[in-house]
Amino acid sequence: MNVQFRLKAAVLSALMFIVFVVLWHGLTFQQSHETEGIPLTSEQSALLKASGMSESDMQAYAAKGLVFEQIQQIAGLGLSSADIDAAGGIESFGFTTGGAAEEAKTGFPSPSLVWEEAYEQIRDPFYDKGPNDKGIGIQLKYSLLRVGAGFLLAVLVSIPAGFLIGMSPLVNLAFTPFVQILKPISPLAWLPVALYIIKDSEKASIFVIFVCSIWPMLLNTAFGVASVKRDYINIARTLELSKFRTALTVILPAAAPTIFTGMKISIGIAWLVIVAAEMVIGGIGMGYFVWNEWNGLNLASMIFAIFVIGIVGLLLDFVIGRLIAVTDYKE
Amino acid sequence: MNLTNDPFDPNIDLWNECGERSQSEEAAPTSIADFVISPKEKETQAFLSKRKFATGDPGSVTQRALENSVMKGIFGDDLSRRRFLKAVGASTAYTAISSLIPFHSLQAMVDDAMKKIEKKDLKIGFVPITCATPIIGGHALDFFKKYGLNVDIIKTAGWAVARDKCMNGEYDASHLLAPMPAAMSLGLGSASQDWRMVTNVNTNGQAIVLANKHKDKNDPKLWKGFKFGVPFEYSMHNLLLRLYVAEHGIDPDKDIQIRVIPPPEMVANLRAENVDGYLAPDPFNQRAVYDGVGFIHKLTKDIWDQHPCCCFGISQKFIDENPNTFIVLLTAILDATNTVELRQNRVAFAEAMSPRNYLNQPSAVLKQILTGIYPDGLGNIKNVPDRISFMPYPAQSMGVWILSQMKRWGYISKDIDFKSASDEIFLSTETESAMKAMSEKNRNVKWSDIPASKYPVYDVYGKEFDPGKVIEYIDSFEIKRS
Amino acid sequence: MKYYVRAELLKKSFPSHDRSSGEYVVFENLSLGLKKGEFTTCIGHSGCGKSTILNIFAGLEKPTQGGSFVGNRSIDRPGLDRAVVFQNHSLLPWLSTLKNVMFAVRARWPEWSGAEVEKHSRRYLKLVGLEGSVSRKPFQLSGGMRQRVGIARAFAIKADLLLMDEPFGALDALTRGVIQDELIRLWSKTDQTVFMITHDIDEAILLSDRILLMTNGPKATVAESVVIDIPRPRDRATIIHHPNYYPIRNHLVEFLVKRSKQLSPEAGTDSCSADQVKDKPSLIFPPEVRPQQETTTSVPEAAH
Ligand SMILES: Nc1ncnc2c1ncn2[C@@H]1O[C@H](COP(=O)(O)OP(=O)(O)OP(=O)(O)O)[C@@H](O)[C@H]1O
Ligand SMILES: [Mg+2]
Repeated sequence: MNVQFRLKAAVLSALMFIVFVVLWHGLTFQQSHETEGIPLTSEQSALLKASGMSESDMQAYAAKGLVFEQIQQIAGLGLSSADIDAAGGIESFGFTTGGAAEEAKTGFPSPSLVWEEAYEQIRDPFYDKGPNDKGIGIQLKYSLLRVGAGFLLAVLVSIPAGFLIGMSPLVNLAFTPFVQILKPISPLAWLPVALYIIKDSEKASIFVIFVCSIWPMLLNTAFGVASVKRDYINIARTLELSKFRTALTVILPAAAPTIFTGMKISIGIAWLVIVAAEMVIGGIGMGYFVWNEWNGLNLASMIFAIFVIGIVGLLLDFVIGRLIAVTDYKE
Repeated sequence: MNLTNDPFDPNIDLWNECGERSQSEEAAPTSIADFVISPKEKETQAFLSKRKFATGDPGSVTQRALENSVMKGIFGDDLSRRRFLKAVGASTAYTAISSLIPFHSLQAMVDDAMKKIEKKDLKIGFVPITCATPIIGGHALDFFKKYGLNVDIIKTAGWAVARDKCMNGEYDASHLLAPMPAAMSLGLGSASQDWRMVTNVNTNGQAIVLANKHKDKNDPKLWKGFKFGVPFEYSMHNLLLRLYVAEHGIDPDKDIQIRVIPPPEMVANLRAENVDGYLAPDPFNQRAVYDGVGFIHKLTKDIWDQHPCCCFGISQKFIDENPNTFIVLLTAILDATNTVELRQNRVAFAEAMSPRNYLNQPSAVLKQILTGIYPDGLGNIKNVPDRISFMPYPAQSMGVWILSQMKRWGYISKDIDFKSASDEIFLSTETESAMKAMSEKNRNVKWSDIPASKYPVYDVYGKEFDPGKVIEYIDSFEIKRS
Repeated sequence: MKYYVRAELLKKSFPSHDRSSGEYVVFENLSLGLKKGEFTTCIGHSGCGKSTILNIFAGLEKPTQGGSFVGNRSIDRPGLDRAVVFQNHSLLPWLSTLKNVMFAVRARWPEWSGAEVEKHSRRYLKLVGLEGSVSRKPFQLSGGMRQRVGIARAFAIKADLLLMDEPFGALDALTRGVIQDELIRLWSKTDQTVFMITHDIDEAILLSDRILLMTNGPKATVAESVVIDIPRPRDRATIIHHPNYYPIRNHLVEFLVKRSKQLSPEAGTDSCSADQVKDKPSLIFPPEVRPQQETTTSVPEAAH
């Protein structure tokens, strides 16, 4: 029954995805239209010839859809076909559709184009062609390392601090104003400050991850610890457990699901933020990859990267979700 | 090492000048006239003053650098050098030593510096725009390797980050906007740190682009209420846009809105109609045309021909600590600059810079920019060979002009001595001598841009700019903030 | 010293729910004592303050006034010398049945090896009939089974004083009988002092040496200390035939039905009103009562 239910959900998911891709394909599908040549009149040919353009050149331009005025301009500038080729070829000038440059050349990429791009990237995820061009696997590795480092630091700080805040109403009240002020600050706003203070973009991005992941964990830990049932603590008290052992063997397992829920929120935010931070800082990482593709306006590549970011986010969420499931308990 | 100290002067300490520039603090670092001459020994004094006279030749700074390193090599410490000079007299010493080592060859200096590179592995930052062609193409076509340098060039997302990474020491040198070393040294918009404008990596190379919907507004008088993007506040782009609209009666602070947008985001913002236009570096002007988003209203070349744009910036600290590396790096950049200035090499540079590691742009767009044969987005084909030029000489006048405009628009509020500030930040003397060293070695290398005076007079949008009359120049503008 | 465990002039009050009446006094000047090695039960209507007394003995709650003692040590915090079976069978929900017991055993004897701890714990789980459910988590157990884990845990640490708050409340008659027998067997082998709260009169008579009767709250008191004059070992089937059984039972029922209300200070017939007007009330333990077949004699008890 349960398996069947899940299967149904999976089929539904797949169906939605297929509909999405088909829609996407339909919306981005473009008929590759033939360029319609505009034949030159004999007077026009004569005029062009007089400006020094060869017969074959002018016929070639006309066949590619350039209007007479444009061919005349080329002739007037004294540009040979070799010159035009050196400048990227007449096809790159945006005239070949009949003169209107405003017709977007680079529309939204079709699914097949994105797949081609994705395939290129997935086939060789660890290539290294210099500091600014590395495979998606290497970019991912760096982003994950940064998130890992910042997140781990945040865990090391926020769990003990959360315990302190959760176990003492006094500390809780004293900390509240700071937490409330610091929490809503966009992590990216810290970036310039971190860059200025830390003077190292790598550490600054780790710091930003640290700052953004600390709050949900801190608050959830404090909340989880504060709301541990009095009864559980009474058990520890009647058994004369030390404060430390009580924290470790009673409060921690009791609050663990809440703490891990905080971690789940944190890692989600951290993954969101690292991409944004890397877009600003550059260098290497998924954010840099997206930025670099944006810089080249390669939408297909960006969409692929967005998929990858989403899937990794999903995996991170899943891993912590497993931890929650393992530590969760029913009363 | 301070390049300006005469190693044959027995009264200065050659060694201690390395880190702290204690003595040269009172003198402009590039000024050769101010070093201390011992009054004691007549003969030495005569010799030294003769050498001082000889330093009218701009190549002498690099020569002095060479002499410095040779003298240091011969004498293990400063005491023995001084004793020797005092004992035999400076001119005798010079004759003796120069018979062994050919000081007169400037090229020898570069060769010598190449043998003594202090730092082989360098990190150089760049923002992915065609302005940085000598750096990007130079890397792609192995110009740094040729000079024995192992350079990584690192793509940077925008100018603020480039500046921060420079100041944080993550980059040894960087592609910067021409006004940035000045802004950084003066502490405008950041902490203050001594950065030097070493060469122009390009001249010209910018344009004003408008969104296609403004095809009927191809006249700046119609731009009231427009939003414009510029890549950075302290940029030639901003200063030129301000100058241009102001000349057409539009107050850049009141009638239009100018916002900072990192170059790579220009096209996306234009497409999204967040801005009506921008004054940006290429390839984003041509890319707007290529993507059918906008058209080129005006090349900045037509505002000020051969205006500075981007520069190769380096910190004074790096120069002090790595004088040989600096000379070699400068020479490599100059070599690449000179090569790409030649028309026959431009297609090769365009193709080399196209991959993802570099500009990550279609090669056709880069070719249109570098050859200057391009569609303007209004259906026309243009042929402007110097749409982008690569004239390295960082004339002091350029610095003075930049400072004058920064003063005009209120970026600098205090009164400054334009010339001495520019002197310090624009290393025209060093660059000139490196340029000359190159042409000395290779007769084919010719520089057309070294002016007769360090302070040439420019024609900027129909108005004469004389660096000697800055205040008058600023006052002559109707629209200004100061 | 007559009483091993004592509560002396206890007062427990809570801030009142409605602001006007100041405070809610659960009890005041309440004194009671448990003799060493005795099995004492406490009976009273719901909400009169039985659990509060037990918690004060456990050290989990502090009285507003007065003090409590074990021997001559004042109780100010919980300790391993006192084992508690909580009314709501507090188990750690993330631990299995076995681990829950082991958790306490390990705390009691930290020097024991893991195997020893486990063996000991299993033995007590077997006593309460849970040997088949050692690896189940609390949420997989019935209410009665959970209560039995709590009992096993309290028994297992062999505390000096065993405090039980309605330990058999959730059990069926059969299981209840088995565990009662086990409890008595364990208790009789040691000199544990037991304080148990129950609502079941027959259970109280079967198990106790003495039964403390509490009046209704607020300002509840322990009205009497009923001595159960029925020799041990007692058998549940035959105990009702003992001549003292029904007199005791009737006495208890009458108390619960009538006198617990009448004796309450709220009802006006306050037996302790004389003490309450004094500045410093004197320490008076509840009078001992021995309901017997012929007559009922009461011997008032004075302190020290
Ligand atoms: N935190 C509290 N605030 C206010 N009143 C409380 C609080 N805790 C207990 N009380 C009151 O104290 C009185 C005694 O409570 P207690 O739990 O000792 O009763 P009990 O005799 O054990 O009842 P039961 O037989 O139902 O378990 C109750 O009337 C209760 O309302
Ligand atoms: Mg109770």
